[in-house]
Amino acid sequence: MKAAKFDYIPAESIDEVVAALDRGNGETIIIAGGQSLMPMLAMRLATPATVVDINNIAQLSGIEVNEGEVVIKACTRQATALASPLVQAHLPLLAKAIGHVGHQQTRNRGTVGGSLCHADPASEIPLAALAMDAHVGLRSVAGTRQLPLADYFLGPMMTARKDNEILLSVHFPLGPDGARTGTAFHEVSERHGDFAVVAAAAHVQMDANGHCSKAALAIGGADAVPRRITGLEARLLGTMIDRNIIAAALPEIANAITPGDDQHAPSAYRRRVASVLAERALLEAVAGAAP
Amino acid sequence: MTAATLDAGGAGRNLHYVAQKRRVREDRRFVAGTGKFVQDIALPDTKHAAVLPSPYSRARILSIDSTAAAALDGVHMVLTGQQMAEDCNPIRLGLKLPDIKWYPLAVDMTRYAGEWVAIVVADNAYIAEDALELIQVDYEPLAPVIDPEQAFDETDLLVHPDHGSNVLYHGNFLWGDVVGDFAAADDSLTLRTRWGRSSTVPIETFGALARWDEGTEILDIWASIQMPNFVELLATTLGYPLNNIRLHQDVDVGGSYGVKRGIKQSVLVGYLSRKLKRPVRLIEDRLVNMAGGDAHGPDRIFDTEAAFSRDGVIKSLKIRALDDAGAYPGRAPFQLAKPISAIVGPYTINSVKYEAISVATNKTGQVPVRGFGQAPTNYMIEMTVDAVARHLGLDRLEVRRRNLIPSDAFPYQIPSGSSYDSGDYQVVLQKGLDLARYDELLQRRDSARAEGRLAGIGIATCLEPGGGNNIFEYLMDPTAEITTFMEACEVKVDPQGKITGMMGTTTSGQGHETLFATILGEELQIDPDEIRIVHADSLTALPTRSPVASRMAIMLGGAATGAAAKIKDRAMAIAAFNLERPVEDLEYAGGTISDRNDASRKLTWAEICFIAYRAYHKLPPGMEPGFHAQHVFQVPGGGQLPDAQNRVQIYPCFSFQAHIPYVEIDPGTGKVSVLDYAIAHDCGTVINPDIVRGMVIGGLAHGIGAALYEQFAYDEEGQFLSASFADYLMPSVHEIPDVKDVEHCTPSPLTSHGQKGSGEGGYLGAPAAIASAVNDALQPMGLSLSELPMRMHKIEALINDGPG
Repeated sequence: MKAAKFDYIPAESIDEVVAALDRGNGETIIIAGGQSLMPMLAMRLATPATVVDINNIAQLSGIEVNEGEVVIKACTRQATALASPLVQAHLPLLAKAIGHVGHQQTRNRGTVGGSLCHADPASEIPLAALAMDAHVGLRSVAGTRQLPLADYFLGPMMTARKDNEILLSVHFPLGPDGARTGTAFHEVSERHGDFAVVAAAAHVQMDANGHCSKAALAIGGADAVPRRITGLEARLLGTMIDRNIIAAALPEIANAITPGDDQHAPSAYRRRVASVLAERALLEAVAGAAP
Repeated sequence: MTAATLDAGGAGRNLHYVAQKRRVREDRRFVAGTGKFVQDIALPDTKHAAVLPSPYSRARILSIDSTAAAALDGVHMVLTGQQMAEDCNPIRLGLKLPDIKWYPLAVDMTRYAGEWVAIVVADNAYIAEDALELIQVDYEPLAPVIDPEQAFDETDLLVHPDHGSNVLYHGNFLWGDVVGDFAAADDSLTLRTRWGRSSTVPIETFGALARWDEGTEILDIWASIQMPNFVELLATTLGYPLNNIRLHQDVDVGGSYGVKRGIKQSVLVGYLSRKLKRPVRLIEDRLVNMAGGDAHGPDRIFDTEAAFSRDGVIKSLKIRALDDAGAYPGRAPFQLAKPISAIVGPYTINSVKYEAISVATNKTGQVPVRGFGQAPTNYMIEMTVDAVARHLGLDRLEVRRRNLIPSDAFPYQIPSGSSYDSGDYQVVLQKGLDLARYDELLQRRDSARAEGRLAGIGIATCLEPGGGNNIFEYLMDPTAEITTFMEACEVKVDPQGKITGMMGTTTSGQGHETLFATILGEELQIDPDEIRIVHADSLTALPTRSPVASRMAIMLGGAATGAAAKIKDRAMAIAAFNLERPVEDLEYAGGTISDRNDASRKLTWAEICFIAYRAYHKLPPGMEPGFHAQHVFQVPGGGQLPDAQNRVQIYPCFSFQAHIPYVEIDPGTGKVSVLDYAIAHDCGTVINPDIVRGMVIGGLAHGIGAALYEQFAYDEEGQFLSASFADYLMPSVHEIPDVKDVEHCTPSPLTSHGQKGSGEGGYLGAPAAIASAVNDALQPMGLSLSELPMRMHKIEALINDGPG
């Protein structure tokens, strides 16, 4: 468990990072909090030629509200995001999700952007961000681009971010003023702080008449990527969601996910428990959105 | 014998240090960051080793090309099993299995995924791992045997073809009239229980550093070791005389509870350091440790048949235990034999048939783990008691009360020959129930159930044999006539009168230094904080069997008491001679010896020490100068061979515990939450309360891990799936409730201060207790589970799919 040899660049600017990535031909990797990458390096599961350290770049940290969205810079620590009044006020689902990410000690180091780049299909921040219709800002030497998370996750630990791009920020749209929203994040893992075996993130919004004006349900740990269950969402939209409507819509989940098998749970478990957690999350979110 | 009469013996004395809440002396160096582990030993020019694991569970090694690895800058040697087998003997196994050859590196064939195939020595561990990637091994993968029941029946697919079978041991024992007891019983049932492959997981993996000294021809070894016969095994494997090897036992060992065997690792560094004429260090990383080091514990299937009366009194047991020892058995089969010492648990079961089978499979070899087979056995016994209660529709608690050995029956001889030294089981159980507020707990469970939750209370009453004894080897191999199981120490009083105690082993967190100093202080009436404790190396140490078997309180305690008595005797003899009084007239108080009838006639400790070292003319005639004593203590009650019915006293002392956890299960996910836990614990006299409490609660957490989470898993091809902490799930503080504990003291009549073993107890009962709680929670649905670990997906499947 000793890393293979690599070059190390302690970058001072974003320009320096994208230049290094561009030179790297896919052999250069960014390190932020290192909570996943360090063990991968030590186990030689990752053997990059060059590691670019972005921890000293001030422009990559911070949380701000900006034209209808909350922007979290990539290198913002998970603990900072969790403690942020902006996140608590505007992004309650993200706050609930981060509470399940590792432990206080790992959250002090782990970053919001790092979780999105690592893209473990069972991790919490990607799941919550997907449910919140977030998008990411990416930059390479060629320029910047915005990518919705719906188009971002390609497979386990695989994303649409190119090897020469840095993830700069994640952007969470704010709901309309005065909308009644409710959120919930439910996951099951054998131990506190582990990656979820299965997780469900729910985000609902009600109009003044109590009809559902937005419904988002995302399931993690039950497929190669976190999945929005759009079939279920469609069945909630416009309704006065109640227990029966949710129950009737739950079978949509099984159609939308293809869970894997491993020593921690067979696929049948993940399939059933996805539905159990989704129901709980939706009920809680709906209750939270009640007047 | 009752507690009252025992109190008149050892334990009722007015104790100054024993049983007092005093600091644990080892804590100081760990808190201050000055512990000294193998990794901390710095020798000039040390080289570093790394091992190449086999990717296959079973494969023929066709060729190994290490040319490129050996040519890498900074690499000093690449060694393969073939080369090593030419220079070394196979490592001796516990049982005599001459056709099973165990070498530190695979020879011709790999027998489990993760088995070490080659080792590289380089300037540092990074280069060593770079070189591993350059070694080309040509394997011919073969079908493995993974399932132990298949392994038992298999005639073609053999882990060790030369052995001719996968069966390493198959023995039958019969104690008492099993046939008659079954015939006379009202009822009977059968039950299959399975104990999963798990372990103790030390925070420090195994490490060893060796230096061959060409001048003295001594091989110095520093190792993270806890193993009897380690140096002997090392010497015979390397082919050196025993006195050419010096094991330094003053290193701290970062956790063990059985698994720190380290023989193949130490053979490797010993061999390499002599070859290279430089110190060589091997520190396992976690992946290597969990896959190919000494990590895996018992993996056992029990088929039990119990005969009982309609009021729930268990008369007889037929037990078949099939244990999966993995590829190389080491001492694994003996973990089926030690439980014979308490084969009926704390119950008045009249007769037992015991069939014990150890089989080899293509998995990592099994090593001793906390309790040496007792935890699985206790689990099986407790599950059987619960099954009897369920079968008869009786309360589990009441069934236990009807079966527990009564307190006036001690010493109590069980069918397999052990005499239980002392116990007060009903009272300890009641203390546990009181601590748990059992009536309120029942209400809590029932109201949770009324709200639709799955809630359960566990009950387990278990024994912890302590003290050790090798005689279980003889039960499996009658040529192993080993009846000695000793521990020793030396105590030196220096010219200043200060005391140094020297013990003969390493210590791996059990607080032996505190134990030793406390007992010396008690016996010599000197503050233990003023006593120095050191660890002899293997060339200077007195005989020891290492700190296994919950034995050090009993055995090092006994040795310390004996040595202290000799020190006192010597002081008294010097005083008697100089005060011109008979010894009977003298009394010893805190080192000063005075005439009972004339307190002004006295000799101070300083004066006695001066005489011992400096004033030969004041020494009694014939007494050697100096002031030290040695004592070698044999295990109480040990020393006999079994009788014709294979009955024998194995361990001398029997601690007892009652566990009462409360759990709730999420029916949607199968997740178990342990919400409360009460334990009542009786290990006789507690030498140091903090140490015992730490062992009990730590052991209990360990047991919760074995019950719910921890499993070394393999797939059908024998690929190892649990090589890191992402997949081998140890509970953390989040999974362990705030444990309530209470001590009870039924002193042992066999030990210096009434003490018994306490290092294993929490672990020996918690798995049974948690399983009992889970099954209690499932009982309203008519479901039960008997396989550990009870992972949440298994519980969820049972709830949602039903049994089978």
